[in-house]
Amino acid sequence: MDKIVFRLLALVGFFFASLWAVNQVNWMEMFGVKENISSTEQKIGELFWEFYSKNNEEVFEDDIVLPMDSLLSKICTSNGINREEINFHIINKNEVNAFALPNRHLVIYTGLIAQVKNEAELSGVIGHEIAHIEMDHVMKKLVKEIGLAVVITMTSGNGNSQVLIESLKTLTSSAYDRSLEEDADLKSADYLMEADIDPMPFADFLYTLGGENAEMEEYMSWISTHPYSKERAEEIIHYCQDKIYQKESVLDSTSWKQLKKAVEEL
Amino acid sequence: MISSSNFTYQPNEHEAEKASSGYLMSLVALIVGLPIPIINLFATFFFYVANKNGTYFVRWHTTQALLSQLSLVFINSYGFWWTISIIFGDESVSNNYISYLAVVLIFNITEFIATIYSAVQTRKGIHIHWWLYGDITDIICKPGNGQNSI
Repeated sequence: MDKIVFRLLALVGFFFASLWAVNQVNWMEMFGVKENISSTEQKIGELFWEFYSKNNEEVFEDDIVLPMDSLLSKICTSNGINREEINFHIINKNEVNAFALPNRHLVIYTGLIAQVKNEAELSGVIGHEIAHIEMDHVMKKLVKEIGLAVVITMTSGNGNSQVLIESLKTLTSSAYDRSLEEDADLKSADYLMEADIDPMPFADFLYTLGGENAEMEEYMSWISTHPYSKERAEEIIHYCQDKIYQKESVLDSTSWKQLKKAVEEL
Repeated sequence: MISSSNFTYQPNEHEAEKASSGYLMSLVALIVGLPIPIINLFATFFFYVANKNGTYFVRWHTTQALLSQLSLVFINSYGFWWTISIIFGDESVSNNYISYLAVVLIFNITEFIATIYSAVQTRKGIHIHWWLYGDITDIICKPGNGQNSI
């Protein structure tokens, strides 16, 4: 019996020793895994954005773009994220919506900018979408919803436009898994605290839109695609309550008012 | 790791064929079962059950064939679910994952070769005793009454 126990332990030990030895090789670099993944995402991102931008009106007015860019840059620089790598777009639409597309595209609708009460709420939504990008949720959702085979077909240029439309619809108007949404919420709260922005208004935003304005659901895409808003708001409050952080404004009140006014005038 | 020795008696042609089939069954199941690892365990298990009342030589070798599957079932299952969680879940391809797959591949190929060798040798009536699994089989499988021949 002792012999069997010894041999069993030796086999288990040999397995883990082999694993350790093989793990010393940098396979990711050898097979160029990261480059391949990144190239696939890049191709899909370009494909999506080319299609999406043809059918939607992007906003380029300085009064809107500059303050929005200040908020994004503040969150990025405070959290070690390269702002230049994020493709930021503001779309002229009344819907309250924001979403991320492959290849680090971050899209915000003017309807959402009009809906928020202050810059901290807006920063929370931006942080939430950056979190989806940084945590690689976008491609995962795409693969999960439409399948790996379809994603690969699309990158090879053999996908038809109907598949493209359906995939785009999935990314722009359906929720991630609840756990992914919660992860993105908490990551956003982290981003905000690092950037000296109060995360509580973001929780308020979720809580308010999750309840009172349910009758406006047709314009509330971001909420309908981000369910359990009240629970998630509570989660953010609970997560941040013991944290110490500064509360500073990124935009002065004039810039903020100009932004709101410019959006209303569109 | 694998040694050949004299069995307690000389198996006849029919016994050698059946014992060899035990390994072949695990071999075929290993190929079919790679995507879903539990299949090879089931297939070998059913063959083991079917030959439970066979002769000592047949029982001994079907038992060893079954036991030799066990470690691979755990190793392959872990790799299988890891892959599933990468495709559908939150996991990403990492160096650890590729290393694990490489080791799984090495272990499967080793098992594959050892199984073919055992099937061939057993078919000739030669008793093949695997390292560890042969020892466990010795404990589990005892000669029964009047089962030394068909």
